[in-house]
Amino acid sequence: MKEVSTVTDVLVVGGGMAGSFAAIRARQQGADVVVVDKGHVSRSGSTPYPKNMMVFDPGARGHDLERWMGEVALTGEYLNDRAWTEVVLRESRQVFDQLVSWGVGFRKDADGRILRNWGVSGGIESVQLEADSLAPTLRGQLLRHGISIVERVMLTELIVADNRVLGAVGVSTINEVVHVFTAKAVVLCTGASSFKPYGFPLGSVTGDGVAMAYRAGVEITGKEFYDTHATSARHPADVRYLSMERPSGQMPPLGLRTAEGETIELPGPTTLLPEFEAHAGRAPLTPVGPGPGAPSPCDAGPGPDAMVGGAGLGYGGVGEGIWPADGHCGSSLPGLFSAGEACGTRVVGARYPGGGWGVPSAGVTGDRAGRGAAAWAVGAETEPIDGGIVAALTASALAPLRRNGGFGPDWVTQMLRNTVAPYYVLGIGKGDRLEAVLTLVGFMRDHLVPRLMARDAHELRKAHETRNMVLNAEMKLRAALFRTESRGTHYREDFPARSDPDWLAWVVLADRDGHMTPARREIPRDWWPDLALPYGSRYPLAFPGEDRPDETRQPLGAPAQGDDDGRQGGVAGGD
Amino acid sequence: MAIEIIDAELCSGCGACVEACPMDVIRMGDGGDVAVIRYEADCMMCELCVIDCPEDAITVTPFAVSPPVRSWG
Repeated sequence: MKEVSTVTDVLVVGGGMAGSFAAIRARQQGADVVVVDKGHVSRSGSTPYPKNMMVFDPGARGHDLERWMGEVALTGEYLNDRAWTEVVLRESRQVFDQLVSWGVGFRKDADGRILRNWGVSGGIESVQLEADSLAPTLRGQLLRHGISIVERVMLTELIVADNRVLGAVGVSTINEVVHVFTAKAVVLCTGASSFKPYGFPLGSVTGDGVAMAYRAGVEITGKEFYDTHATSARHPADVRYLSMERPSGQMPPLGLRTAEGETIELPGPTTLLPEFEAHAGRAPLTPVGPGPGAPSPCDAGPGPDAMVGGAGLGYGGVGEGIWPADGHCGSSLPGLFSAGEACGTRVVGARYPGGGWGVPSAGVTGDRAGRGAAAWAVGAETEPIDGGIVAALTASALAPLRRNGGFGPDWVTQMLRNTVAPYYVLGIGKGDRLEAVLTLVGFMRDHLVPRLMARDAHELRKAHETRNMVLNAEMKLRAALFRTESRGTHYREDFPARSDPDWLAWVVLADRDGHMTPARREIPRDWWPDLALPYGSRYPLAFPGEDRPDETRQPLGAPAQGDDDGRQGGVAGGD
Repeated sequence: MAIEIIDAELCSGCGACVEACPMDVIRMGDGGDVAVIRYEADCMMCELCVIDCPEDAITVTPFAVSPPVRSWG
């Protein structure tokens, strides 16, 4: 077995938006930097796809920091870390300016001014990226800054000794080659955690960095929340085929037409509304878009599509991941940093508000993590790594190739997805169901994962991705069980309302003596909502079945107006 | 079936699609002169290969290759 060794100051894992900012900033501070990516930098992770970028522009009309902070707290239901929200808002303009200076394209109007679109969450503004401009530009900048890029290598484990990260071990995804990286600092920019869902191009976003950090003893946060996206019933494997009904004449709101013929308005921020409607027996649902407008390029065939669930599965949105221990996205493990969607900043709280938070968050955290990692590396020595540790890690990285029998990663992934994908697990949860699924996922962890086998290097990557996805599933289930309330995109039928002040807290998960153990981190009292305000004012987006004495608007997923059974409707009324 | 065709008549063997694929679906063929679909079930229909192909030789459809749900294997 060929082994390739690389020594650097700063190892950046993942070459997307966050990784590019981290690598370039660390390089500008004088550190030697290597970027490693399991795909091809500019064509990997989620960076090829964003359309919007939130930019807070002090002085621009409507850009009021306090008001924007208030909007995020309201849509995020007070679970956003206000310090990180403010940092991302304040530094988003610098990230934008940096991208413009590098030549990233933003859509402009006829007069050459960059188009601004008012976001969906109460007037937060964003700009629009030109298609396929961001990722290739970032690759060019990495090369221009003299940063080494190692591609088609998937890291499997961090090397840790004496409570310090010393590097990482990985495998080639195309040849049977082991890679050993020795680094003073490691920055995990590995993106979000998904379950290879159909619909969105998230197949490579399997939470690898978060999983490696968890196995190294680091705390993980934000796992109980759920980024729900439906896809096209006609072509569920490609969400772009989800076409809308576009009535001519009066502009209708963006909404859903239920099987009963009623149109429900869709609030801008991510909600579980389609799941509630499906659960109540009102699917199929048909999206209703602003009309008449131009058809989307993917409008295929006659008439609008019905929606089905499943796209974006497991993807918790912006800010779930490794708990940042300081303002430079360091962690509880000295020398380990994270950025982008692997970094648990909780910047938007309990639900994704819409409007392009991923790009500025990745830029800001990448910038900070890059500076932090370079500063750490300057003061650190390159530690010799115990050969025994490396031998054990490489043996376990290659183990699936060495097995003659066992289980294929495709089958285990398929079983995992079919176990956790249904809406009634991570979407509309309940204690007994979550426990039941956790039992099955625990079996996968203990019995299937140790017997994963791979026929070649391509399958070896998938075996490790499968192992990481099983771990992510356990994290999501345990965090969802621990949070005994409903909030944002976390819903429990057995605890169907927000519980203030008991759950004005974050959930962190960590390995304690071999067991995944949840714990609370209290939200500072200054950041709590005004508990004297009526519940409906604190939480304008209602769950079905909530007791909302001051509520006048239609709760999510409740039966039609005029139905006497309204308060009993939706999910909580029946099981 | 996701990525369906790399047209061998049009393919110039430049390898841009092999580099582009986030899922490692495409490899150069044994002769090294044209790209071939090697792991079609892993295609996630991102169409980055279509975008990067200078010869317009690749066709991607919205039909996934999905193995039947089986009890082990």
